[in-house]
Formats: sequence, structure tokens, C-alpha cells
Amino acid sequence: MSKSNEAFWWSLFSAGGVLAALCMPVFVLITGFLIPKLVGGKEDPALVFYDMFSSMASKWPVRITLFAVIFFSLFHCAHRIRHTLMDLGLRHSTGLLAAICYLSALTGSVFAVLALIRL
Amino acid sequence: MSDNTKITLEVFRYHPEGTGQTASKPSYDRYDVPFHDDWVVLDALNWIKDNSDGSLTYRWSCRMGVCGSCGMMVNGEPKLTCAAFLKDYYPKVIKIEPLVNFQVERDLTVDMEQFMEKLESVQPYVIRDDVNQTDDGEYKQSPAQLARYKQYSMCINCMLCYSACPVMGSEPEFVGPAALALGHRYNLDNRDQGTSQRMDRMMEHEAVWGCTFVGECSTVCPKNVDPAGAIQQAKAASAQKYFKKFFVPKGAGK
Repeated sequence: MSKSNEAFWWSLFSAGGVLAALCMPVFVLITGFLIPKLVGGKEDPALVFYDMFSSMASKWPVRITLFAVIFFSLFHCAHRIRHTLMDLGLRHSTGLLAAICYLSALTGSVFAVLALIRL
Repeated sequence: MSDNTKITLEVFRYHPEGTGQTASKPSYDRYDVPFHDDWVVLDALNWIKDNSDGSLTYRWSCRMGVCGSCGMMVNGEPKLTCAAFLKDYYPKVIKIEPLVNFQVERDLTVDMEQFMEKLESVQPYVIRDDVNQTDDGEYKQSPAQLARYKQYSMCINCMLCYSACPVMGSEPEFVGPAALALGHRYNLDNRDQGTSQRMDRMMEHEAVWGCTFVGECSTVCPKNVDPAGAIQQAKAASAQKYFKKFFVPKGAGK
């Protein structure tokens, strides 16, 4: 019997699940449907789309929101993948498995920061 | 349906305690059983025991989905055999095996000892710091307070969820769905004051955190208890408790 730090990872997983479920459909709606519809009739829609999106995303509250959604969603995925692999039988090197999953999520988050700062 | 209609049951047999000729390796015996529309698998097993092979061993009691003793694998699925109708399988052969993820004692009966220990370890009963005198009357509970845990109190300890759970198969130490759901049921009970001592056990690695949320426990539950839901709620409560210890000084707020 042992105490567990799983609560920490599960909290990231849980937050990621909530944020992904609430925000992702909204983001897809905005960037995938509303903005293209808005710029659809204009000349050079791709450029207008880029201008609109980058001016929106360069605001700090938007950057922070985007980062939070990306960060937690990545850790949500990492946790889910880790446990699915454990269910599939990878139970012997759980430490290594956890390290690979969560480091991948961390790497993705670092790239997200770099991309968001450059916007 | 004519009286001569038969259905074939392929039944797992194992008598580990015998010696010489009565000792057996695990094997399957086939029995042709009268088929009736209103018969369940348990009726067929009882017919075999009465008419064909008195040595067949299995547990059963109430025949109405309340006692939780007749759980077996029916064609590979954990089921209460008192609720599994022959007509749902006819005319195919029905394969009956003991619940998986348990040690087999004999034929279709499994060893429940570890399950009982796990169940006991979450203290599934009302714990009070103080016990009222009988004269003081009962502990009152509003319909809303009852509704918080009622669903989780419907568990009949049939252990189908333990057979359905893949974590149970790979991690025998896992406390398991029914026990965790019952622990959570008492944590939600307003008459109970034992949450913190129960949570010490439920927050362990082999307890709520062993669950990978496959959800099969809730799928097979014959009483719609939703143990998976209970475990997720217990995880949220565990996480709260886990983070609290970093912010609240030891011994404070007790």
C-alpha cells in the first residue's frame, strides 16, 4: 500500500478535460467557421484571416487563455495515453512511461509558449 | 415451445480438492437442458444439478437479483445468472464459467476472501465520533441528503464489476469498483463522520488512483450503481485533499 502523487497528474488531466470540452468547440467555431465566413467575401481572405487572428491572439489575456487550453489539454492527453497504455499491458516500466508521456506534454507546452510569444 | 426443445450448456468444471480419480484439471462439460422461454441460466444449472450431475457446484440464493450470489461469466460476460434468460442465447451453446479475476474454489464458485478484505478496508458503514442515546431519536436525513448517495447504496456485492474491470486483472491489489463505490457512498452520507479515516485508504495508489476509467464496471452493474462515476467523484475529493495539505498547516482546521 502506498501513498500516491497521482492526484497531481489527475488534476491536470481533469482541468484539461474540462477546458478541452468547453473551449475547443468554441475555438473551432470561431477560427474554423465564423472568421472564414466573415472574411470569405473579401479579397485575399487568407491574409485578412491572418491579420484578424494575429491581432486577436496577440492580446495578453487571449495568449494566456490559449496557453492554458493548450497546456492542460496536452497533459490531459498525456495522462489518458499513459493509462490506456497501462491498460494494454505496459505495467512494468510505469516510471519511464510516465516520464515519456508527461515530458512530451511539457515539450508541447514549451513550443506553445514560443509560438504564442512570437504572435 | 415444445417440451422436447433442448439447449446446450458448456459448463466449466474444476474440483481441485479431490484425490485420484475425483481430482480434476479445469475442463468443460456439456449438458443438454430443457429449453423454456421463461428459464434463466440459473434454472438450467439447477436442472443439471437435480437431474444430470449432482456434483456441479455454484452459489445462488434469491433468484431475483437481490442477493448477488449467482454472478458468473455467461458467454464471457459477467452476469447474474438469475437475470440471464436462455431465450437470449437460444439456439446457440451457452458457455458458463466462474467470474474472472478471482481464484476458483470449485466449478463455478470463486474465492471471495480478498474481495471481503478490500470491502472491509474502506470501512463501509456509518462512523460516528459521538453516538446519540436512543432517547434522542434517530439521525434525521432530508430527501436531498438521501439522494446524494442512494444510487451507490444499491450495490449487492455481486462482484460482476471486479470481473469486468481490466485493472483488476492486471493489478490484483487494486481495491476495485464495488468497494470504492461503497466507501464513497458513506463519505456522501450526512450521518457519517468517518470521511477522513476512510479517505486515508481510498487515496492510496491501489485505491481510487488505480482506476484508469475504463467504465466497464458501470456497464455490467445489474443495479445501475455506476461505480465508475463514484470513483471519479472520489478522485476529485482525493485531489482536493491532496492539494489542501500543501496549503493548510498540519493539524489546522480539524
